[in-house]
Amino acid sequence: MAIDFFWRIPTHGEPSSHRARTPFRGDWFPGNDNLRQAGLGGGGADGFTYIDYLAEIARAAELSGFQGGLIPSFPMTDEPWAISALLARETRTFRFMIPFQPGFLNPVVAARMTASLQRATGGRALYNVITGGGGPAQLWWGDAAGHDDRYTRTTEFLDVVRGVWRGGPFSYQGKFYQVEDAGLATPLSEQDFPEIYFSGSSDAALGSASKHADYYLTWLEPFEQLREKFARVQEKTALLGRKIKCAVRVDIVARATEEEAWEEVRKGFEAVDAATLRQFLGTDGGDSVGAARQRGNRPTTLNSYKDLITAPNIWSGFNLLRGGQTQGIVGSYQQVAERLDELVQLGADAFILASTPHLEEAYRVGEEVLPLVRGHTAALLRAA
Amino acid sequence: MTIEFIWQLPTSGDGRYAAPGITRRGERAAGAPSPLQAGVSDPRGARPPFNYFDYLHQIARAADLSGFDGIQIRHDTQGDESWIVAGYLARSTRHLKLIAEFDAAWGSAVYAAKNAVSFQRFTGGRFAWQIGHGGDAAARRRQGDAAPDADILPRIDEFITVARGVQNTSPFSFKGKFFEVQDGGFKGPLANHPVNSIYLTGESPEALALSARQADVHVFDAAPVANLRPSIASLQTQARQLGRAVAAGVRLDVLARETFDEALRDARRYRSGAGLPDELPSDGGTAAFWPGFAQAQTGAHGALVGSYAQVAAALEAYAQAGVSSFVLAAMPHFEEAYRIGEHVLPRVRAALSAQLQAA
Repeated sequence: MAIDFFWRIPTHGEPSSHRARTPFRGDWFPGNDNLRQAGLGGGGADGFTYIDYLAEIARAAELSGFQGGLIPSFPMTDEPWAISALLARETRTFRFMIPFQPGFLNPVVAARMTASLQRATGGRALYNVITGGGGPAQLWWGDAAGHDDRYTRTTEFLDVVRGVWRGGPFSYQGKFYQVEDAGLATPLSEQDFPEIYFSGSSDAALGSASKHADYYLTWLEPFEQLREKFARVQEKTALLGRKIKCAVRVDIVARATEEEAWEEVRKGFEAVDAATLRQFLGTDGGDSVGAARQRGNRPTTLNSYKDLITAPNIWSGFNLLRGGQTQGIVGSYQQVAERLDELVQLGADAFILASTPHLEEAYRVGEEVLPLVRGHTAALLRAA
Repeated sequence: MTIEFIWQLPTSGDGRYAAPGITRRGERAAGAPSPLQAGVSDPRGARPPFNYFDYLHQIARAADLSGFDGIQIRHDTQGDESWIVAGYLARSTRHLKLIAEFDAAWGSAVYAAKNAVSFQRFTGGRFAWQIGHGGDAAARRRQGDAAPDADILPRIDEFITVARGVQNTSPFSFKGKFFEVQDGGFKGPLANHPVNSIYLTGESPEALALSARQADVHVFDAAPVANLRPSIASLQTQARQLGRAVAAGVRLDVLARETFDEALRDARRYRSGAGLPDELPSDGGTAAFWPGFAQAQTGAHGALVGSYAQVAAALEAYAQAGVSSFVLAAMPHFEEAYRIGEHVLPRVRAALSAQLQAA
C-alpha cells in the first residue's frame, strides 16, 4: 500500500505567507482586503467570492500530485459539504475530505448526501469524522451531548450510515438514532462507501475508531508518542478482527535550504502579538484529549522561536502563526521528506500536509518534497 | 409586485413519457447494455462518463438561459440530495435562485444555517430554503425521523428561529423542544450576509399561521384560482397583523402547446401512457385546470393544459389573485424549460407589465 498525500483547503482564510496575519486573499472576509482604497477606482465588487480562490487551490493540489484535501470546519469557516459540491464539476481527481460531527446531520440524510456527492464527483468524497472538542464550543453548534456520549453517538451514526448504504431495508434502535425500514434508493445505493478518517485521542474515541475507521488521523506529536499511539489503535482494532491505517495531519515549512526555512519561521514568530503569545502559554477549555496532549509539549516562557524547537526539524509553535495544531516540520526539502519517511517507519500510511499560502505551496511541496519521499519500501509494500 | 417564475428540478428522474418512461437521463443502469443496436457504435462506451447530474446541470442551464428566476430543487428520497445538487449547479448558473427543498429532520439548525451562509457567500445571495413536512409518519421513520405528526410544524418553527438567530445575532442562545444553542451566532467572515429566503408549504390553518410568522413565500398546492383566493387572503391578513409581508406562491404543472388541441392530445397521450383515466373535458375556451395530472411524477396537485396564450392568461389570473411566485414544471424538464421560457413567460410578463403601466 503506497502512501497517500492530501493537502488542506484554507477555509480559515489565507494570509500571503507564514509571516503575514491578515487573511485578505480571495474575499474570505468580505470588505476586509487590501484591494480597496478610498477615492481610488477599482477593487470593488468583482463578482468573485472565496470559492473562486478555493477552486484555484483544489486545482493546484490535483495538478501537483495530491489526492485531494481536507476542508476544515470551524465556527468561522465555510461549510465543507457546500464547498465540495460547488467544486465537484471543476475538479477531476481532487478528493474532498469532509470533516463533520455526527450531531450535525441525521445519519439517513448524511448517507443520501454522501451518495449524491459520490455520484456528483465520481466517488471522490471521504469523511473525517470528528466527535468534537466539547465544552461551550459544542453548544455553539447546538449540540448538548456529553463527551463519552458523543462517541457512542458517533458509533451509532456510522452504524446507520453503513446500514442504509446498500439499500436496506435497515432498522435500528439506538440510544441516539432510530430508523425503520430505511435504505438508499438505486442507483444511490451502488456508490462506494467513503473512506473514513477518524480523529480523537481518548479511549472512547479509539473504541469508536476501531469499529468504523479506515484511517486513524492524528495531529503531529513527538515521534515516540505517535509510535505508541499508533500501536494502541492497531491493537484495539485487531481485537475486532479489523485493520486500520494511520494518518498524520502536519503543517510544514519546506525551503531549498534549512536556513531559509527557519528564517521564515523566525519572521513569523517575531510578528506574533503579545496577546496571542499569552494565550499560547496559557490553557484553554474543552474536554479534547488531543488538545491536552499538545498543550503538554509547551515550554512556559519564550524568548525566541528556537525555544519551540522540540526535535530536529520540529517546531511546536505553528498555532502562533494560525489556528490549529502546534507542531510541524521545518527544514530543507530533503529534511522534510526524511522526517515524513520517519513517520512512515513509525506506522503512518497517509498525510495531510499544509503550508501557507496554500496555492503556491501546493506547487512547491508537490514539486520539491513529494518526489523525495520514499514512502513504503518494497519490503513494507510486500507485507501490506 | 415582483413576479418570480421558478422551474422545478426533478432530482430522481425525468422523461418524455409517464412512468415507466421515467429515467435518469444521461445515466445507464449498472450493467445495462447500450440502447443502440449492436451494428451501431456508441461513443459513450460500456460505462458512460455521464450520469444524471450532467442532465440536471442541463436543466438548470436551460432555466437560467430561458429567463426563469430560479429553480426549486426537489426533495425526493428516491433521488439525489437537494443541497448537494444545489452546490453542484451553483457555479455554472448565473442568475437563478437555488431553492433547496428539505425537511427539518435534516439535522442541526445551526449547521443548516452555516451551510446556507456559505451558499450565500459563494453564489452572491442566490440560495433559498423550502422546508417541507417530510411525508407521513412511516415515511419519516424510514428517514430516521421519529417525530410524531404534532411536532412537524413546531419543529419547522424552531428550526427557522434558530437558523435566523445564528445568522443575524451573536451571541445567540436558545433552548426549545427540538434545538438548543448557547452563545452561538456567526461572526467575522460569516456575519452580515443577507439571509437566504425561506419558502414554506401546507394547506392547514396551522401551516398558514406558521408561514405568516416565519416564511418569505408560502407555496400553495395547485388548485383552481378561485379556490386559492380565500387562502391567500387569510395568509396575507395574518402576516399583516404581525407587521410582516409573505408572498403567495403556487406549485403548478403546465402543459402548453401552440394550440389547445395539441396540448390536449399530448395530455391524453401522457395519461394513457401512465395507465391513468382521461377525464379532461375538451373545452377549448381557456386553459383547463386538470387536477392531479402528473402528480405521481412531479408532485404537483394539478396542471394547466392549453395553448401558450391560454396558459399565459391562466397564469396572469393567478397573479391577479395575488400569486407572485410560480413554481412550475413540465416533463421533460429540459425541453419544456425552453418551451415555457420562450412561449409562455414572455406573454405573462408582457401582460402584467402592461397592466402596471396602465395603473
